[in-house]
Amino acid sequence: MAYQKIVSTGSVYKGKTGMWLYVFHRVTGVGLFGYLLLHIISTALILLGPEIYEGAEAVYKNFYFRVAEIGLMAAVLGHAINGLRIITVDLWSKGSDFQKQLNFVSLFIFLVIFIPTTYKMTTSYFDLCLEKSSSGTTVVDCIIRPIPDWK
Amino acid sequence: MQTTRTDWGRRQPPIGGSSFELQAWFFMRVSGLVLVFLAVWHMFIMHVFNDTLNLDYEFVAARWETPYWRAFDWLLLALSLLHGTNGLRVVIHDNIADKTIKKLAHSALYGTSLIFFIIGTYAIVAFVRQV
Ligand code: HEM
Repeated sequence: MAYQKIVSTGSVYKGKTGMWLYVFHRVTGVGLFGYLLLHIISTALILLGPEIYEGAEAVYKNFYFRVAEIGLMAAVLGHAINGLRIITVDLWSKGSDFQKQLNFVSLFIFLVIFIPTTYKMTTSYFDLCLEKSSSGTTVVDCIIRPIPDWK
Repeated sequence: MQTTRTDWGRRQPPIGGSSFELQAWFFMRVSGLVLVFLAVWHMFIMHVFNDTLNLDYEFVAARWETPYWRAFDWLLLALSLLHGTNGLRVVIHDNIADKTIKKLAHSALYGTSLIFFIIGTYAIVAFVRQV
């Protein structure tokens, strides 16, 4: 038993980057599945007509959910790019020799896509909020109001 | 088995088990590749090229006027549910030791996924514009 323990490579919990990437992939995967179920329900409400559908959508239209949407984007992009990294290691014969490099490339690709995306999602939120709200609305109003006064 | 290098952050291909496990492992990779296009593209359309603040009944109704977007959305629904359900099957297997509770958790998972697949499919297929 002790011998097996020393040489076993069965566990993924070896510490360091690989373990954290494994945990990251698992947490984002389970999180995305949970969000998927919520998303199916709120989209299926479209069958009940415009009032009910838009009433449900209005719950999402505030700054707290915009932050959550940016988190959702991070989860999808992170899980997708890390998934591509996993597939590369699996299918490329030299993949496991270049894992450190692949980790850096993955992080780089993630940041190159995620940073401009976050910028757009943030600026667009305030632009639309100020444009659609009654005059006199400030940036601070756009942040603190639970449900702004747009449709 | 002694290995000289660590294979980081992924499940090993389950060689030698039942062929189902190997097929499931392979399915995660294939569906993952397709989901890169479907899920990431969906996120960009909804959150970057448009803004969800503008999302309303009219937006969805106009989208689903073309059968292609209904097909796109249904494929995304089916693949992400299958991929996620198989992923959670493995997570449950790894984390619940008790055989009875594991069976219950797996059944609950499959039941939930099936119900959501039916609800989602029904919405995409049966939707008719009301206004
Ligand atoms: C966007 C493109 C995606 C790619 C490239 C991708 C890739 C992968 C891969 C390759 C695995 C297997 C990991 C392994 O066996 O070690 C996996 C696991 C998983 N994925 Fe995805 N996936 C994607 C999207 C999604 C979505 C949308 C969901 C949510 C419904 C999801 C949920 C999961 C779950 C729950 C697991 C299991 C995690 C684990 O076993 O630790 N994935 N993904």
